[in-house]
Amino acid sequence: MRSVSLPLVKSFLRSFFASLLICLISSATLPVIASGQTTELLIGIEPEHNIFDQMRRYRYLAEYLSDQLDVKVKLTIMSRYGEVIKRFKTLKLDGAFLTPYTTTLGIKELNLEPIVNPVNLKGEATSQGFIFVRRDSGIRSFVDMEGSNIVFVDPATMEGYLFPMAFLQQHGVKDINSFFNRYYFSGSHESAILGVLDGRAAIGSAKSTVYMNMVNSDPSIGQELEIIAQSPKVPEVTLCIKSEIDLELREKLRNILLQMDKTADGLKVLKQFKAKRFVGSRKEDFAIIEKMAQTALGVLSVHGR
Amino acid sequence: MLKILLTVLFVLAAAPDLHAEKRIGVIMTGDIPYYGAIHESFVAELKRRFAGIEKIEIILQRPFPNPISWSNAARKLIAFDVDLIVTYGSPATQAVLHERSNIPLVYAGLYEPAHAAVKEKNVTGCGFKIPLSSILRYLKRFKTLNTIGIVFSSTEEDSVRQYKTMQLLCSQQKIKTEKIDIRSRTDLEKVKTINADAVFMTGSSIVHLWLDEIITSLDEKHIPVADIFPDASKAGVLMTLYQPTYSQGEMAAEIASQILLGKKPDDVTPHIMRDTELVLNLLEAKHLGIVIPVQLLIEATRVIE
Repeated sequence: MRSVSLPLVKSFLRSFFASLLICLISSATLPVIASGQTTELLIGIEPEHNIFDQMRRYRYLAEYLSDQLDVKVKLTIMSRYGEVIKRFKTLKLDGAFLTPYTTTLGIKELNLEPIVNPVNLKGEATSQGFIFVRRDSGIRSFVDMEGSNIVFVDPATMEGYLFPMAFLQQHGVKDINSFFNRYYFSGSHESAILGVLDGRAAIGSAKSTVYMNMVNSDPSIGQELEIIAQSPKVPEVTLCIKSEIDLELREKLRNILLQMDKTADGLKVLKQFKAKRFVGSRKEDFAIIEKMAQTALGVLSVHGR
Repeated sequence: MLKILLTVLFVLAAAPDLHAEKRIGVIMTGDIPYYGAIHESFVAELKRRFAGIEKIEIILQRPFPNPISWSNAARKLIAFDVDLIVTYGSPATQAVLHERSNIPLVYAGLYEPAHAAVKEKNVTGCGFKIPLSSILRYLKRFKTLNTIGIVFSSTEEDSVRQYKTMQLLCSQQKIKTEKIDIRSRTDLEKVKTINADAVFMTGSSIVHLWLDEIITSLDEKHIPVADIFPDASKAGVLMTLYQPTYSQGEMAAEIASQILLGKKPDDVTPHIMRDTELVLNLLEAKHLGIVIPVQLLIEATRVIE
């Protein structure tokens, strides 16, 4: 009988399952371009809390796109947020489904082209950051926060780091190390919410869609937590493609995704993907995040790399 | 000459003895590991604070968990005329308060002190809060819950409060409860008749005195157990959500040192600790045939395997 410390277990499990899925799903990671024609697209995915369910959903979509595009679409899942930007070139990715902050980084640093955003089953294509506390914590606003513990999601998330950092900066906090008793990164939005529910942190930040899903599945969570700040809404997930990919293929990919909800086969796959449809995405949608990063961090690329 | 001699003697008699010994009486119920761990960190922190300054004598009382023993322990310490009494847990605290002594009292290990009847002159301390809703939330993810058994002791005020809170949470979620009141060893027979999907152990000293026997009975029926006191033997309890003992011991020592150095208890604000640690026991899960989802496993501070 022996005890294993949390960081080790968490780190090992995340890395292990992510690596396992990478091996199982993307046996070949090199895009194949024969005679100037792309025959394979390798798309990266940022991890959600349940990566098994996530991979299942994305696999349906990849199979559909492969059929429609006549180009093999392969997937590879990252082990953490932000990794996709760091490793975009070394992994030879052609595109990625990115969260808001990494989309902003991808546009700025890798010249990625935002193509589409999925619309979830509630009809939303956007999410926002929430800062929340336990109702019985005694924290009602910023003035009560000093000296407590806070949980962020990951430095490469808008909802789980950039927004709370901008919020703190706007209230005059220059150094979170001296302002808080302790802070830590949970690695996922759900973990950040559970961390506050359990008392591991007094304050948490996470994205609205995960928060609302948890509240809908267990209404007692909504009774125990209180949202004390909200960020502007931004596209939750964006498919970005590198600009080197042939324009014709990019447009074909965009059109197939935008037309999915108009065909029976497309609708079936959308249901499996847990989305209603896709909508077009524009670079301008992410200007607000760049502004937020400049407020919070000074320079956009300081974190999340 | 005589006048000078008398003056010197008067000054010596009236001068404060800078190296006088202070005596602290401590009431730690039985052999409860939770209180033992608080006491250990209390003593270590107190030694650190008074090293080379003043000698501190600790008179430790370890009464059996029943009202007469708690009362006797309190009376003994009052008869010793100690400078300060420190109590761990609600029953020991209530026993000292019942004696209406003028000796300052510092409590620790008290569940939600704001809801306990401890708001008296000369009394301060630190306590803890565990979100019992989190225990219910995790148990629900282990298995379907129709009925929860709640093991408590009606002789212990905070155990009763925990029972009532859990009962309310269960009723809100349409889960039936079965109460098991342990007041003496003969009540252990009641555990054998429990017919529940899971059992919650309140933070009762008498319940934890016979924890091994209770666990053995529940194990035979394959009933998972959740607890809010750490399971020192690392066997039998499936999940534990508890407040780390060292922080309460250290805080109690800080409060005690302030009082010993002249601060009035009324001027020392009571503290409540809300941070928690989650321990999941995979050995027990395997024994019970319960598969703990990976998403839940990564929430644990510690995993026993």
